[in-house]
Amino acid sequence: MASDRPISRRLFLRGGALVSSAILAGIPRVPWLHGDGSGEADAAIMGIGQELRDVLNEETVNRILVEALTRGGDFADLFAEQRFRTNIVLSEGRIESVTYGYPRGAGVRVSRRNQTGYAFSDEIVFNTLLDAARVASAVVENQSPMSPIDVTRRNVVPVFPLALPVPLMDEARKFDMLRQMDVAARAYDPKIVSVRIEYIDEVRDVLIGTSDGGYFVDRQFLVSVACTPTAVSGSERRSGLSSLGGRVDEGYLVSVDPERVAREAARQAVALLAAGPAPAGPMPVVIGPGWGGVLVHESLGHASEGDRVRRGTSILAGQLGARVAAPTVRIVDDGRWPHGRGSFAIDDEGTLAQRTILVEGGVLRSYLLDKQSAGLLGLRSTGNGRRESYRKWPIPRMTNTYIDRGTSDPSSLLSGIKRGFFAAQMGGGSVDSTSGNFNFAVREGYWIEDGRITKPVRSAVLIGNSLETLKRIEGIGNDLSVEHSRGTCGKDGQWVPVGVGQPTIRFSEITVGGTSI
Amino acid sequence: MATLSPKEIMDRVRSQAERSGAAEAETYLEVVRFREVRIRQREIELLQQSAIQGLGLRIFRDRRMGFMYTTDLRAPVLDEMVNRVIALASQATPRDENKLPDEIPPQTQELEIYDDAVARLQPPEQIALARAAEENAFARDKRIRTTQDARCGMQMNEVHFSNTFVGYQTYRATTCWLSVGAIATDGVKKREGFFGDWKRLLLDLETPERVGRKAADRALTKLGAAPVPSAKVPVIFENEVAGQFLNGLVGAFSGQNVLENRSFLAGNLGKAVASPLITISDEGLLRRGLGTRPFDGEGVQTRNTVVVDRGVLSAFLNTSVSGRRQARASTGNANRSYDTLPAIGPTNFHIERGGTHPDKMISEVAKGLYVTSLAGFGIDIVSGEFSQQVEGRWIEGGKLAQPVEGITLGGRLAEMLLGIDSVGNDLEYRNNVTSPSLRFRELTIGGA
Repeated sequence: MASDRPISRRLFLRGGALVSSAILAGIPRVPWLHGDGSGEADAAIMGIGQELRDVLNEETVNRILVEALTRGGDFADLFAEQRFRTNIVLSEGRIESVTYGYPRGAGVRVSRRNQTGYAFSDEIVFNTLLDAARVASAVVENQSPMSPIDVTRRNVVPVFPLALPVPLMDEARKFDMLRQMDVAARAYDPKIVSVRIEYIDEVRDVLIGTSDGGYFVDRQFLVSVACTPTAVSGSERRSGLSSLGGRVDEGYLVSVDPERVAREAARQAVALLAAGPAPAGPMPVVIGPGWGGVLVHESLGHASEGDRVRRGTSILAGQLGARVAAPTVRIVDDGRWPHGRGSFAIDDEGTLAQRTILVEGGVLRSYLLDKQSAGLLGLRSTGNGRRESYRKWPIPRMTNTYIDRGTSDPSSLLSGIKRGFFAAQMGGGSVDSTSGNFNFAVREGYWIEDGRITKPVRSAVLIGNSLETLKRIEGIGNDLSVEHSRGTCGKDGQWVPVGVGQPTIRFSEITVGGTSI
Repeated sequence: MATLSPKEIMDRVRSQAERSGAAEAETYLEVVRFREVRIRQREIELLQQSAIQGLGLRIFRDRRMGFMYTTDLRAPVLDEMVNRVIALASQATPRDENKLPDEIPPQTQELEIYDDAVARLQPPEQIALARAAEENAFARDKRIRTTQDARCGMQMNEVHFSNTFVGYQTYRATTCWLSVGAIATDGVKKREGFFGDWKRLLLDLETPERVGRKAADRALTKLGAAPVPSAKVPVIFENEVAGQFLNGLVGAFSGQNVLENRSFLAGNLGKAVASPLITISDEGLLRRGLGTRPFDGEGVQTRNTVVVDRGVLSAFLNTSVSGRRQARASTGNANRSYDTLPAIGPTNFHIERGGTHPDKMISEVAKGLYVTSLAGFGIDIVSGEFSQQVEGRWIEGGKLAQPVEGITLGGRLAEMLLGIDSVGNDLEYRNNVTSPSLRFRELTIGGA
């Protein structure tokens, strides 16, 4: 499942589709990250190089991992994390709320083949984590203990440089940016009656120790700003959505132009006021670049994730080498994509991020694997072991997933379509990876009539099947864009930031969920 | 700090905030114990156990609001956090309505939301329950050979609350659950059926026999499913699906969304927005309810609120701030965790039970669709659009016929609610947002 909206935290008391999710919060100033404080508090709320590593140095990590494996098991890891989060909400022209969060804790995992034990604590204290190691080890019994462990510090090299990451910018600049966006969205058209802007950033420090000898520390920056104006005309009410962000620095803000982003959201809301009924049923569909990649995320990405593959419950299990898409299609999951929301130097198991070709020439070439699923399938981790936080264990997840660029001029992809559907802006999607049946929402759609984009239509979902839809690709544009400002992927109760992307793509047939037959 | 009681921690943080210039302060401290066991193919696949503690502090100064949260309860950290949040609040825009609730604290009620048997549940018992549920899925039919997994979990929450005006309040609550994702195969295709139950009390939890069997039946029913042609037909939502539909609508009843003009129901108070067969209530005091609690996230007593009365929109849900802005009282719907600001959400939100047996609802349909699964991000409470991916059974001559998948359903929420022509007598409480089965006069299928 992928959502394109900021996720607010609420614990839904149900499983399956709806799960708990996370809000991000924070204070406008994080001076301790610059190391300019020396008091007791700054020693307690500290950078990754200090207190976390004092408590969890190579020696104490060794002892915790040895404890974790005393009852047996073939792998154990320790994952400590602290986050500094800032969340600003601007609504009705006012700074409605400013919040600041500092969650931290650590967890211990013990695994043996397909079995996993996991325990965590909000306290980063050696004895507490020894207890967590014992609790996690309860999943294995009567096995022989692992031999002594010797973790060694490994260097973590950033995959792209950031000059001044946006989360570290002076907070006054963050407030100014939001106010300018608000003014720009309102000024776009008098039909814009309200504007809501949510700013979320975080600095995430992680420390990972693994029983195969790794000891890593890393710092990750992330920001997302989403602008949702509402336009009203008569009894019609429409909202638009646009966003900026990613793992970006202040230079990005200059190039992306926040006011332009805000006007784009306002444009969508106003354009949709004139929307008529969307068509219902199968027809030729052209999907625009960028966030349109939610299609590949749902249709192929989830089904390629190793946990369901090794269980045999994914429709792509046993399909390596099989044709899953049209022969012109290449699909990539790239954990190193510059500024990608799903990018990192190391995944949450300490594996280096990599660029994985999932599909080449329309043929399935690889799965997305964490250490456990790779071990069970006799393969190597592809650097896709991710977790929502220290409260969760890693599972195979996408990073930045996209259909690679083709050669067609995007406008040429409309020609020859007598009656079809053009999806300009997409919303969230979900998939049942056992059947491969998936859906994704269109936020801004238009009729295609006689090869031209004509009337706007109301929002609707599009549906397809993992083994069929990508085979219906008839044309791929040369305008690849990877959206990295707002994607959040939910699976098994864990939400992680992801990027999705594609160029403009034409499908011979997709079923559209409108009301006009 | 870990040696102090929750009340002592909150008192210390609150008085520190008030000394540092906060006119009003509110603390919310949560302690959660959680354990889940997952069984797959008769083996333990996951055993997860944890204890969470976190503190949230909301302050008002000059009618400006600031908020912070942390899981790090060490004294110097908390002192520093308090100083920062006070500085932070000066960045917010003042609003006259920004202050703590005026409402009086709640009376003690017998809500039956805590069960010692759940709090004491041990891993061997959870393993046995999950194993039994999976075994019953396998036993149902030889076409069930694998599962996604079977899960049995327990959770115990303690909420501790205080603010500048109201003394210390606390409550505790338990939840237990049992679920199976069963996979049926006809040798070529595989389909998954999920069934789960969530309850406050262990004795109320569905038996492993029923959980395993229902998951298996749901998977088996899907084998051989295919699209039907596009058409406009009567559609029935099975009760669980109707609850999911209602869950997609809850945001439209939020007083905050109304203020921001982000609900298709805005401006309709006192008007008919649904069929006269429909009454929708938010029941905060429902005994054993999954959304029940004695007070909400800002200490206001929960209550029962009718939002749609026989088709007429009668109220929106509010917190104290959103309520004040509409000259109304809070409805006790401030939902939160320690790490979020109080925000409007449901307690136990449901469409009231109707009088028709689901079999009768089906028998009255000549040609139509019976929906057993709804998926997609196509419920838009701003524009009022409805578009979803659905699965279910075709109805032919008043009887359930072949399984259906690969189709969409489209409509407009305002017309859908007015077009409900039958409400089932099958309301169940497996979730905090629930509904009996609903029949819609006509929706559009996007199909083959």
